[in-house]
Amino acid sequence: MLRAVALRAGGVLALLAIWWAVAATHLWSEVFVPSPGSVWHQLLQTSTTHDGQRGYAGHLLYEHLWASLRRILLGSLYGVVGGIVLGLVIGLVPTVRALLGPLVTFVRTLPPLAYFSLLIIWFGIDESPKVILLFVAALPPVAVATAEAVRGVHEDYVFAARSLGARRWQIPLRIVLPSALPEIMTGVRVAVGVAYTTVVAAETVNGVPGIGGMIRDAQRYNQTDVVVLGLLTIGASGLLIDALLQLAERRLVPWRGRS
Amino acid sequence: MPSPDERAPDERAADERAAAVSLREVSLTYGGKRRGGGVFGRAFKSADPVDALRDVDADIPGGEFVTIVGPSGCGKSTLLRLVAGFARPTGGEVAVAGAPVTGPGPDRGVVFQQPRLFPWLTVRRNVEFGLRTAGASAAERRARSDELLDLVGLSDSAGRLPHELSGGMQQRAAIARALAPGPRILLMDEPFAALDALTRERLQEELRRIWRRTGTTILFVTHSVDEAVFLGTRIIALSRRPGRIVLDETSTLPGEDDPHTHPDFPGRRERVAATVRAAAA
Repeated sequence: MLRAVALRAGGVLALLAIWWAVAATHLWSEVFVPSPGSVWHQLLQTSTTHDGQRGYAGHLLYEHLWASLRRILLGSLYGVVGGIVLGLVIGLVPTVRALLGPLVTFVRTLPPLAYFSLLIIWFGIDESPKVILLFVAALPPVAVATAEAVRGVHEDYVFAARSLGARRWQIPLRIVLPSALPEIMTGVRVAVGVAYTTVVAAETVNGVPGIGGMIRDAQRYNQTDVVVLGLLTIGASGLLIDALLQLAERRLVPWRGRS
Repeated sequence: MPSPDERAPDERAADERAAAVSLREVSLTYGGKRRGGGVFGRAFKSADPVDALRDVDADIPGGEFVTIVGPSGCGKSTLLRLVAGFARPTGGEVAVAGAPVTGPGPDRGVVFQQPRLFPWLTVRRNVEFGLRTAGASAAERRARSDELLDLVGLSDSAGRLPHELSGGMQQRAAIARALAPGPRILLMDEPFAALDALTRERLQEELRRIWRRTGTTILFVTHSVDEAVFLGTRIIALSRRPGRIVLDETSTLPGEDDPHTHPDFPGRRERVAATVRAAAA
């Protein structure tokens, strides 16, 4: 345990050292490779009000982060709920599988940016198209994982429940859904990952506050240190969220891989 | 929620006179045509029609411990699944307590080769599953699950999840779960086949004790002749596919204190084994 922590800390430190060394050679200008020091400076600048300027583009760093996280959480939440329902129906009803299966696969293969333009035309440039984009992006992984898991539930679990007096209509919620939970949790982690990779794209249009909007603005003014800061912020929060999801998974499906 | 041992004596006697299970010329051919056996209309799929069972006839009175033995692939598990209502015969009729079987139901408890406990429920909640579906109150459920967990020796593991138990303990829990709704018949499909030899022997002995205490009719499928002779008050042997009854005899051995050391045991085991060998060839 201690060893694992030490290894990880060592890895991060080594990367920082390499970054610092590369920047210190000044082979490339600050615009291409900002030094760790200037990124740290930007972290302080964007987190405080200074010279009458509040954070970056009028919002503190945590406000940018929270705006992005809120979109990710809402989009993922809708996507997870919708994906589970859709996956259950697709997995249980062959007719629906034949009807909707190809559609889900079609949407899954589309790059989210491809349909973002359509969403903007339909829903404008405020919050809704962003959250809807993440919802559409997060839904297919959950739906596919759920449908696969539902079809993979061993029929003896269903038979056991029926022999214990469970009614046919009780089977989907009482047996199939909990049986499929381990795979669904994997789908949820993938979905949140997809939402993460999509949020920056969603924030390229009217994305301030938001980490994506911040990165976009900084890019316009060649503020590479702010771009890097945005990347690190969104990445670090992603690691944290995934750790939380793993924890939830261990709590929710402790039998995973052992039954 | 009466368990068999709690029912009135005359009611039990009536059960025992009536055939608990009757099989009339039961045949099963699958692959030829689609038969919605599964819960969501899943059908057996096979390129060529397979004759699994042909003209199986038997009347099983209540209270018996019937062991069904035969070579692998002889259709003995299939026969059990027909009684459980997981599939329908393509010919003949399966009836339980005089009524044709149309699907699974709580009057027939099932124990599978794998325990198939619901992994998201504690041992107690697994045992209580069949009581909840029957609408038993919390107090009733508690009392009945306490009694059953005690019967199978799992009182200390009530709050644990199935994956925290050994294979033998999981199978005990599965037996308790199957007994909970007070089934008329307990159907067991090679329940001890996946266990190590020591655990298997211990569970065989315990099952004999449970059968004596509850008086439940048991249909027990096994590929072990030794197990069939040790447990069965009636031993049915099936031939290889298409499965037909090649031996059907009653035995008093399970009533003895220690069937294994009884002088009749080796002779009977040899006779049944010879029949199974001949039927498998």
